[in-house]
Amino acid sequence: MIAPHPDHPPKTFRIRVRRQDGPQAKSYWQQFDVTYRPNMNVISALQWIAAHPRTADGKQTSPVVWDCNCLEEVCGACTMLINGRARQACSALIDELMEHGSTITLEPMTKFPVVRDLFPDRSRLFNDLKKVQGWVPIDGMLDLGPGPNEPPDTQEMRYAMSRCMSCGCCLEACPQYTLTNHFLGAAPIGQARLFNAHPTGAQLKEERLVTLTGPGGVSDCGNAQNCVKACPKDVPLTEAIADIGRQATVHSIKNFFSGG
Amino acid sequence: MNGSADTSGAIGGKHHFLLRRLHSLSGILPVGVFVIFHLFTNAQLIRGGEHFQHEVDFIHSMPALLFIEILLWAAIGFHAALGVVYTFAGAQSNTRYYPHWDNWRYLLQRITGIVALVFIFLHIATLRWRWDLAGWYTPFFTLGVTPEGEVVNLAGVSTAVALQHAWWVAALYLVGVLSVIYHWSNGLWTAAITWGVTITDQAQRRWAWLCGGLFAALFVFSAAAFVGALTLTENDQNTHEWRAYRYMSEQRRAGHVIDLHGKRPGDRVSVSALPDLPSTENESDG
Repeated sequence: MIAPHPDHPPKTFRIRVRRQDGPQAKSYWQQFDVTYRPNMNVISALQWIAAHPRTADGKQTSPVVWDCNCLEEVCGACTMLINGRARQACSALIDELMEHGSTITLEPMTKFPVVRDLFPDRSRLFNDLKKVQGWVPIDGMLDLGPGPNEPPDTQEMRYAMSRCMSCGCCLEACPQYTLTNHFLGAAPIGQARLFNAHPTGAQLKEERLVTLTGPGGVSDCGNAQNCVKACPKDVPLTEAIADIGRQATVHSIKNFFSGG
Repeated sequence: MNGSADTSGAIGGKHHFLLRRLHSLSGILPVGVFVIFHLFTNAQLIRGGEHFQHEVDFIHSMPALLFIEILLWAAIGFHAALGVVYTFAGAQSNTRYYPHWDNWRYLLQRITGIVALVFIFLHIATLRWRWDLAGWYTPFFTLGVTPEGEVVNLAGVSTAVALQHAWWVAALYLVGVLSVIYHWSNGLWTAAITWGVTITDQAQRRWAWLCGGLFAALFVFSAAAFVGALTLTENDQNTHEWRAYRYMSEQRRAGHVIDLHGKRPGDRVSVSALPDLPSTENESDG
């Protein structure tokens, strides 16, 4: 990508942050004028603010809190709203953002409780991954031997699903997923598809489908299809939802006629 | 860890999934199939009142009509009640930051659902139940009788009177019918995902062409009915029908129900038993 003004870089740019001092506190806005350096991203801008915690009107303040880990868009920890849309701060380049205006707005995701400032508590997402048992069951006392072979087309589909990093962008973008309801959302449904398609993971398929045909399961999808557009990893989430929808249809019909 | 989920706060509790799927099914099958049938028969209005009358008489001659009607009421009531709950309990539209077509389609589905519900209610209240809503009185009669006692067909004229009542009634029908056909064709598209019929993006796109085609066909049917109803005006050939319509609606408004059960067009009935009404000259059909 090309910087907006390669010959005349700006001296500073403005960051507008929605801050919140604690989980129950009210949010408020603060603005910071950050000194421009080439190739900055939102994380390095936040690091600059941490080193210079002074608002644009000269008031001393506390450093802005955020979460991050890998800094290469594979962990999902630094997901936040950047100019209104959920994405990772580490791969949000200042030069690109400045093509759309000299002020960059940062907010915490709205579908998760806020711990502080830009740091959300994503526990619900991880609990929901546990609910759909997003794993291959290999724990136990017996040697299970080598895993069964996977046909190449299953491998290909599963590889696409496995790119999910549980960042929460799909949930933030989803109009059916709210702070207070019970919808699992796209990411856990995608992981259920990933592990249902694994020859060993399929041992838990029926159990996963019990959860997925329960309250907050796949039937709460409203087909706005924002998830697949918001996904930074191009996970085919809408295909996963349709596939799990098919599995849920088969599961519930089978259950109707032969279930307990 | 077993597969049980937290059922607190979810609509329908442990029947949540079943209710959602029945909501989908009730919208597609009874309601949707009825809407196709209804709009297709309406479209005959463009060929003239007598063709439309033929369709109306055919529907009225169907066996177990009451059973069909009850089934439709149950399906519409169930679909609408759950739809209103699903729309207002929890959905947070966000087209500002995610202005994709699919996201607008999602929002439109909810708006058209509510508009369709209001429209269908008004449509049935005026034409079926013959409510007088603050002067908006356009009852539907299959058969009517002239003040001289001649039995005539009134399905076409009744529809024309209803739609020509005022500009806002025509506008309501246009918006209402567009909402209904959008809601159904989009619902058919999403139902294929819900039930797991279309899985890949390509399959969903192919199915979208089909649903779009259905939307277009239903729009053509509705437009034909619309044009037919708005252009059916009083002339030398049908003036006795218009006079019969005015006579019937006045009698009905005054609380006199004229029983034409078993009568056929061309029959003569005695209307002398009915009280005299003021001259119809001051009455307008508009």
